[in-house]
Amino acid sequence: MPDPVVVTKDLKKYFSSRSGPVQAVDGVDLEVFPGEIFGFLGPNGAGKTTTLRILTTLAKADSGTATIAGFDVSREPGKVRRNIGYVGQAGGADRPATGRENLILQGRLYDMTPQQAKDRAAELITALDLGEFADRIAHTYSGGQLRRLDVALGIMHRPKVLFLDEPTTGLDPQNRANLWVQIEKLRDMGVTVFLTTHYLEEADALSDRLAIMDHGRIVAEGTPVELKKQVAGDTISVGLRDDSRNEAIATLLGQRPYVRDFTLDDCRLRIVVEEGSKVMPDLLRLFDQEGIEIATITLAVPTLDDVFLNKTGRTLRDTESAGGGQ
Amino acid sequence: MKLVRDVGLLYQRKLMETLRNPIYIVMSMLTPVLYLVLFSPLLKNLVPTTGGRSVLDLFVPGLLVIVAFFNGLFVGYGIIDEIRNGVIERFRATPTSRFAILAGPVLRDTTNVLVIVTVFTLVSIPFGFHPDFVGWLILLVIIIMLIITTASFGYGLGLILKEEDRLSPIVQGVNLPILLLSGVLLPMELAPTWLQVLAHFNPVYYSVEAARVLCAGTIWDAKVGYAFLFMVPLTVLVVAWATRAVRRVVA
Repeated sequence: MPDPVVVTKDLKKYFSSRSGPVQAVDGVDLEVFPGEIFGFLGPNGAGKTTTLRILTTLAKADSGTATIAGFDVSREPGKVRRNIGYVGQAGGADRPATGRENLILQGRLYDMTPQQAKDRAAELITALDLGEFADRIAHTYSGGQLRRLDVALGIMHRPKVLFLDEPTTGLDPQNRANLWVQIEKLRDMGVTVFLTTHYLEEADALSDRLAIMDHGRIVAEGTPVELKKQVAGDTISVGLRDDSRNEAIATLLGQRPYVRDFTLDDCRLRIVVEEGSKVMPDLLRLFDQEGIEIATITLAVPTLDDVFLNKTGRTLRDTESAGGGQ
Repeated sequence: MKLVRDVGLLYQRKLMETLRNPIYIVMSMLTPVLYLVLFSPLLKNLVPTTGGRSVLDLFVPGLLVIVAFFNGLFVGYGIIDEIRNGVIERFRATPTSRFAILAGPVLRDTTNVLVIVTVFTLVSIPFGFHPDFVGWLILLVIIIMLIITTASFGYGLGLILKEEDRLSPIVQGVNLPILLLSGVLLPMELAPTWLQVLAHFNPVYYSVEAARVLCAGTIWDAKVGYAFLFMVPLTVLVVAWATRAVRRVVA
């Protein structure tokens, strides 16, 4: 495996609040490898943004270390800044200027010559499909167009790692889907992407590997498939016509080797198995033989929310309403 | 040198913004013109003038100083918008010098003020303002220091407070006492002693006093010395403070 491009060791940061110090980041260890899309999933206030801000030199850690492309974020912030691109939650495009002017200025701030900056801007405008609006003032852009410009600004200087903080927050589903395509394009260009999100679907769809964060700690890490496999297994939910045969059902399921766990109350039966699609036919046959009548049957494969539930005892959707700052 | 180039690039960015919206300059010009037309006639019968000097020779130099002060103080609102849109944070994540992030916009504001002050001076001459040219040029130096100081102060406040609602009371709270104690509207000689003493704590007061003697053609005067003595360290101090605010701003 190649050397990781982002490494953090026991990273910690506190904030003081009226009720005493809050541990925003509480011992984060991470490794991100070149070329991967690394997802950082967690509810609002989990400490994702704070971690990102430390990695991008915008905030200082209270303890622990972090290196980007071999440079320490607190000792060599200048070198770190040259190696990273950063797209914050707010975006960062300068609204009174055109997209192209934004890109050229960004390139110049990274020491490109005027010609280099112009060429690179033109290249990105083509590659990321900004052509139709690149020469309009950014004030006139839609949310989706602004986001695409923000991402282009982030990779203007060909950084080793691009940090995206909640890139699709506030976008409608169509623009979100567009941006996902855009981000996958970055992978094809060989850009390492580190993105935070509180959307399960986003983390699942985009990440090659992901870490789940809660209360300043990483509670799980791996590929989406690995993580989902670790937890629940698939769930088969069965609606029974009546509950008269419940004892027989319990005995039958107890004998089946593939049944990991089940709950049965009244007419609702939930069975947890390793691979639902493989065992469903057998279950149906069994119920048929025993003359147990089934009203409905559904199969649910685990989501990252089940992973989160398993690790924290809450679901990510629950935490959504609780809200909270960063 | 990177620092100089960064300052230049970020100055150019803000200058483009102004050129695309020249209405801002026109609006800024309106304030001194309104004072000239609607206020200076009141002074005519009130303020004794001597030796062929008109009341405008007393009033306009102070107005030039206050134009610089006004234009600097309110810039904080603009940077709050940029913080909200993530622009400042984007710059901070690049290798751009933190000083340049402040200096670019401050230089733009300085340019604006120089344009306004020059045009307003020219407009006032037919109304009876007789500035001494060399004195006026030296006054420009004081005005440049004043706009750098107040604009840096405005940006620093914006960076620290991050919300218009929190910025407004402070800006307003600074604005009025400084204006009233500057001796622009009426000369401080008319004030009771305690008010005159209070005025000496106002940095703008020294600039206004110096502006009057400079425009009258006296260059080697203690009042001019005091203005420089006060403004040079103040400028350095406020710029350093505001640069620190850029370094520390948290969105």
